[in-house]
Amino acid sequence: MSGKRLLSIGLMLALVLIVSACVAPAPAPAPAAPEAPAAPAAPETMRVWITWGDNPAQLQELFNRYGEANNVQIQVNAPVDDEKVIAALSGSNPPDILVLSGPDNVPAWVGEGLLTPLDDIIAANNIDVEDIYPAMLAQGRLHDTQWALPWGSDTYALYWNKDLFEEAGLDPEKPPQTLEELVEYADKLTKVEADGTITQIGFVPDFSWSHIEQYVPMFGGYWISEDGTKVQVDSQPVLDALLWEQQFYTKYGPEEVLRFVASTGDYASAEHGFMAGKVAMMVDGEWMVGPNFIGGLAPDLWYGVAPFPYPADHPERAHTNTVGGTVVVIPSGVANPEASGKLLAWMMSPEIVADEMVANFNLPSSRKAAEDPRFRENEMFAVFMDLAMDPNATSQVFTPASTEINDELALVEEQVLHAGADPAPLLKEAQAKLQPILDKALGK
Amino acid sequence: MSTSVASKTRGSGRRGSSRRWAGSAYTRRNLLTGLLFISPWLVGFLLFTLYPMISSLYTSFTEYHIRAESDWVGLLNYRQMLADPRFWKALYNTTYMVVVAVPLTLLGSFLCAVLLNLKLRGQSVYRVIYFIPSIVPVVAGSILWVWIYNTNNGLLNTALGWFGIKGPSWLTDPAWAKPALILMGLWAMGTTIVIYLSGLQDVPVSLLEAAELDGASWLQRLWHVTIPMVSPITLFNLILGVIGMFQYFTQAFIFASAQSSTAVSGGRTLGAPLDSTLFYSVYLYHKAFINLKFGYASAMAWVLFIIILICTVLLLRFSERWTYYGEEG
Repeated sequence: MSGKRLLSIGLMLALVLIVSACVAPAPAPAPAAPEAPAAPAAPETMRVWITWGDNPAQLQELFNRYGEANNVQIQVNAPVDDEKVIAALSGSNPPDILVLSGPDNVPAWVGEGLLTPLDDIIAANNIDVEDIYPAMLAQGRLHDTQWALPWGSDTYALYWNKDLFEEAGLDPEKPPQTLEELVEYADKLTKVEADGTITQIGFVPDFSWSHIEQYVPMFGGYWISEDGTKVQVDSQPVLDALLWEQQFYTKYGPEEVLRFVASTGDYASAEHGFMAGKVAMMVDGEWMVGPNFIGGLAPDLWYGVAPFPYPADHPERAHTNTVGGTVVVIPSGVANPEASGKLLAWMMSPEIVADEMVANFNLPSSRKAAEDPRFRENEMFAVFMDLAMDPNATSQVFTPASTEINDELALVEEQVLHAGADPAPLLKEAQAKLQPILDKALGK
Repeated sequence: MSTSVASKTRGSGRRGSSRRWAGSAYTRRNLLTGLLFISPWLVGFLLFTLYPMISSLYTSFTEYHIRAESDWVGLLNYRQMLADPRFWKALYNTTYMVVVAVPLTLLGSFLCAVLLNLKLRGQSVYRVIYFIPSIVPVVAGSILWVWIYNTNNGLLNTALGWFGIKGPSWLTDPAWAKPALILMGLWAMGTTIVIYLSGLQDVPVSLLEAAELDGASWLQRLWHVTIPMVSPITLFNLILGVIGMFQYFTQAFIFASAQSSTAVSGGRTLGAPLDSTLFYSVYLYHKAFINLKFGYASAMAWVLFIIILICTVLLLRFSERWTYYGEEG
């Protein structure tokens, strides 16, 4: 009896302790809070909005370092939705710094007068643009003016599952070198049941984050001219890329491939097709290596990363890849352009670029930052580092009509891959539609 | 008596006018008090509804610039809309939802309401069960349904598999994407059920009893008494359903973003699969906030407004033939 009672008292005590333990830290910051405003000058507040952010707390911590050193309180808001960004840019109180996932919207926003030109800010704050990789820097340049600076970058490469390679009788250490080999391997790595049901697939060209954008340069071209004035979606490289992609669907039937892909799990989960060992090869970005994805979700996966294969008759195109990624802009109409510029300069300093990109598993935009040994710790990540520095690394071409051109290209790709449509007439149609849209957007 | 004679002799016109004046001070004070009471709504309406509406009408005739003066382009946006195949696709998809989903919702919720109106033990428990999906946030509900619709491991296809049916790939097959959304909508029709239920409880018991005495079966009573008696409720639900479905957005939007987190379409979700879920409001949103074509988007909004207006007027006009408002109506 007394034993039971003792037990219950013990339990009660434990409960009280647990509850108090949970509550205890709460009063601690309370006295600390009034101290902060008691500092000699009340810290001014700056707002940094970021449209991506798997880890907002890490971003806030990073900016706190600037805040503490400069007596500024920085509020990081990440991730922010598109419509909020547009509303803020058109309003009278935009964020002091805006970090975008990519420069797609920058030309259109420049046309709308939503951004501050950065050339004076770069000069005033001694931002070393020579230190920035040219392909990445080019994304934010328009009309001979710098409107956006690249903070980090992405690029894409081929991931392959070594276990599945071995199982299929392929050398697990030898990824396909050419596009033709990739097709051959993909076939060997695909398992189809008697009724047509796919249980394992070698390669799906538009699986997860990979799309036609990643393939066209390997076929020797681009869907917009280098100067950004001509749409060329009906050019041979675009057509070739689509036809190459289409064969992976026609071989097993689009319906079966789609059914198989739809049955694989979420992008950021261990059930993701590649992580679960259901998709043998995929094209994806450098972040996939990191702790939010394979590194954390499927740490025991035996896999490799290699540059995306080249066409057998064009070995000179080996290592062709398109860099592009997060850029920093200063909205026009910010309260204090000088303060924004100073913060921008801090963000662009090699140490900060290195720290943030290491934390987020993205490629650094700064050459000095790239020397940081932490970028070489993961051999898979190092493949992406080498690709981004390769002479065959190019930048995407952006225009004020980029979002509309991408919409159209995406629809064509979907129709060709998923509905078995003939790409040539669709591309002709898209070309006829898009060139006037681009002309108009360029004010012609 | 004399006054009435006097007034009659003075002429009705003057009498009328004097009465109008007499009532005026009182009416005016009443009006002022009334306006004062509704002023929060009135200010809100003028500032946040009427002004934006008028401003969007103006915007629809311009090429909108966010910070600079907008250019007047006349009917250009409307002309472009007619030539835009995706506009027509979006209109088709939305009309499909209105034509298929709204009648299905009405029928389904009426039948549920009839069942939930039976005198059964534990009826309130059943009512709660049917209403629960309606209080699940749309976002959570949509994500739940994305799982239910998973091609191989989803609840639905697993259940179909027990009967030897190879279920479709709900999320990636253009033929099944809209039915999937409709099915999800039917799951959350609790609000319509509740409105019907209140209507059913207003059907006079005397009428039903009289019909029963006359030998009408349960089905005949339902058809000849209950359905006519709840016809105003049907009209109300129909109009709300049509208006709501023309503006169908959230579920499709969430469905699309939930899919983008799966490996299906990698962030590319506008109308996927193959524009089969490109709904009017989804396309409008994309035009405005992704393509920055606010003029075009405003023009789309006004076309939708006019379509909804015409549909509502037509429904009200034709409803006179089949709605019954009782004797006094």
